[in-house]
Amino acid sequence: MILYDYILSASCYKVRLMAALVNIPLTLKAVNFHPKKDHKSDSMLALNPAGTLPILVDGEHIMTQSTQILRHLATQADSGWLGTNADAEWFNFADRLNASLGIARLHDILSYDVDIEKGRRDGVTQLRKLEEHLSEMRFDGMAFLTGTRPTIADIACFPNTALAPDGGVSLDAYPTIRLWMRVIRSLPGFIEMPGIHRLHELAPDPVVPV
Amino acid sequence: MAVALSADLQHAMSMPCCLDGNDLAIWRGASGQAFVWGDRCPHRGMRLSQGFVRGEKLSCIYHGWQYGSDGGCVSIPAHPDLVPPKSICAKTYQCVEANGLIWTTLIESTDAPPPVHLSTPVRTLHVDSAIGDVAAYFGSPDATLIHLDNPRLITLALHPVNGTSTAIHALTGDPDGRKEVSRWLEIQRANVERAAA
Amino acid sequence: MTSNALNYWYPVAMCSGIHAPRDTLLLGEAITLGRDGPSYWVRDASGKFLPTVVRYGHLWTSLGQPNRELFTIPEAEAPDRRLVDCGSVKVKCSPLRAVENFLDIAHFPFVHTDILGAEPHTEVARYDVEIREDVNEVWATRVKFYQPQAAQSADGGITTDYMYRVAAPTVAVLYKTCPPRPGEWDVITLFVQPLNEEWCEVWPWMALYDDTTLHAELVSFQQMIFMQDRSILENQIPRKLPLDPGMEAPTQADMTSIAYRRWLKKIGYTYGAQVVAA
Repeated sequence: MILYDYILSASCYKVRLMAALVNIPLTLKAVNFHPKKDHKSDSMLALNPAGTLPILVDGEHIMTQSTQILRHLATQADSGWLGTNADAEWFNFADRLNASLGIARLHDILSYDVDIEKGRRDGVTQLRKLEEHLSEMRFDGMAFLTGTRPTIADIACFPNTALAPDGGVSLDAYPTIRLWMRVIRSLPGFIEMPGIHRLHELAPDPVVPV
Repeated sequence: MAVALSADLQHAMSMPCCLDGNDLAIWRGASGQAFVWGDRCPHRGMRLSQGFVRGEKLSCIYHGWQYGSDGGCVSIPAHPDLVPPKSICAKTYQCVEANGLIWTTLIESTDAPPPVHLSTPVRTLHVDSAIGDVAAYFGSPDATLIHLDNPRLITLALHPVNGTSTAIHALTGDPDGRKEVSRWLEIQRANVERAAA
Repeated sequence: MTSNALNYWYPVAMCSGIHAPRDTLLLGEAITLGRDGPSYWVRDASGKFLPTVVRYGHLWTSLGQPNRELFTIPEAEAPDRRLVDCGSVKVKCSPLRAVENFLDIAHFPFVHTDILGAEPHTEVARYDVEIREDVNEVWATRVKFYQPQAAQSADGGITTDYMYRVAAPTVAVLYKTCPPRPGEWDVITLFVQPLNEEWCEVWPWMALYDDTTLHAELVSFQQMIFMQDRSILENQIPRKLPLDPGMEAPTQADMTSIAYRRWLKKIGYTYGAQVVAA
């Protein structure tokens, strides 16, 4: 499978992360999203007329929606990742996180011209909703968005949440979101992206070579 | 002041907290003991709350400088053979863990934390409102520990984050009541914030 | 703001990215920049034209009267070098913190884990640092560090040799082992535009010997490294760089940063810095 990828894109990271968690190797083709805007080049538009990333190519199949791509990867691996139809609300939620926290991040990092105050305000509203929901799941002994195991709903929502501080939205006020992020970051096969640190505590103190 | 629910600080983990404008790092060692320190590594000022815990030591994520339970630096990875000078240490605060809450004080105190009789932690919520207004809303203008019996038995431990934000750490008596208390708190927060606006 | 900071050249744009007039900030002042055919212009808020220089793919300007030419990097002029613009990234930190982080290697195993460094290879061996009075620059030489994946052109782990150079208060250049051409240096720069004392825009730029890696991958690698640093930079307290010893405790590994801070104090450059009142 080939992923047309931008290293700093939260949506591309959803795909890279999912593939790593289910052990599906991807051939990454780096696209110069910034500064050259190559995702809008003629050759990229031929592949995806919408001019967006990520683009996953699996044989004849070309997929350009991150939710669709997550589903595709989960189906290849372990259908437990798919969750249930009832989880669809979380993909809408993930889109809203992208439109608030994601946009705030692009404003603060790449100087995107957006309504930054609205992005941050909406982001806080969504983080509070997420904190409330995850708290209720926790009361019932469940560590993930929809149950006791991670699904593509968690992967769809994780990147923009974890990268919120990049856009000036602090995560300090959400202890349950913090625990949820830690549980995801501790999953076997987890890979980080810039802005999301490795959990060094998972490795012991090294024995320094003589 | 109560600054966090014990249940939110798992073993071998650190988290940030702001108390009256002072940035703090709260962390728990692998053994379970909790610590409250100033949120600043003395090396290059990086937030220690973003660090990582191995055993009973907190390491800064920037250069991996490691601090032992008394706040003193015990290891500098760039110089594995160096015994760090005693002068390199994190700022430490008193920390008491009692009744499901982590308590600290910015100024040295010999007082014990006030008693709390409800033992089921619910949640911590942050409210965009000064602590006095939040406390007044719940009927106890000067209190930082508020006991309610409606809609359930609830204890709210408040701490001022800064002049315009307050953290509420909520506990209740019965695990079956947690969802109801959580939802009720969301409504109260909306009310307080609407009034503050 | 000290008038001292005015009299330097600062990067304000990537030349190939100027398609229409653009507003930005320099040292807290609003400026506008643009292009008329082959020539570039920068104006301040009153409409006055400011001096400009085009070099290393970027447009440089000054709000004052620089008493020196813009620095040069002779290695970067070699004809078969690949010159790589990386665009800019904004960071909520002092421009001086951004430079100091670029000069530091002890953070590689923790921030650029498994790329530029990894535990247990955390030791920083002694290296040489000097303030070169003739050119008024800070230089660190004979720096070495073991790296799992030092560059796109490297095959696995190598001990990388480095040199660091502070060519101006907000400009840092690093020279590193060039795997395809032993004996030559790859050049990676950080041109830092101070927007104000607490925000900067960094313009990484590179001059490399690498015939195989795709341009997009070179840019991605550099952006990845910088963005890993960004999440540290935005969390350092105080925001401004302390120039006086006492607040922050350095060690042997920090010799470049110690020299940088001492040099800033010596030349009287305090924009984005914190000095203890006399």
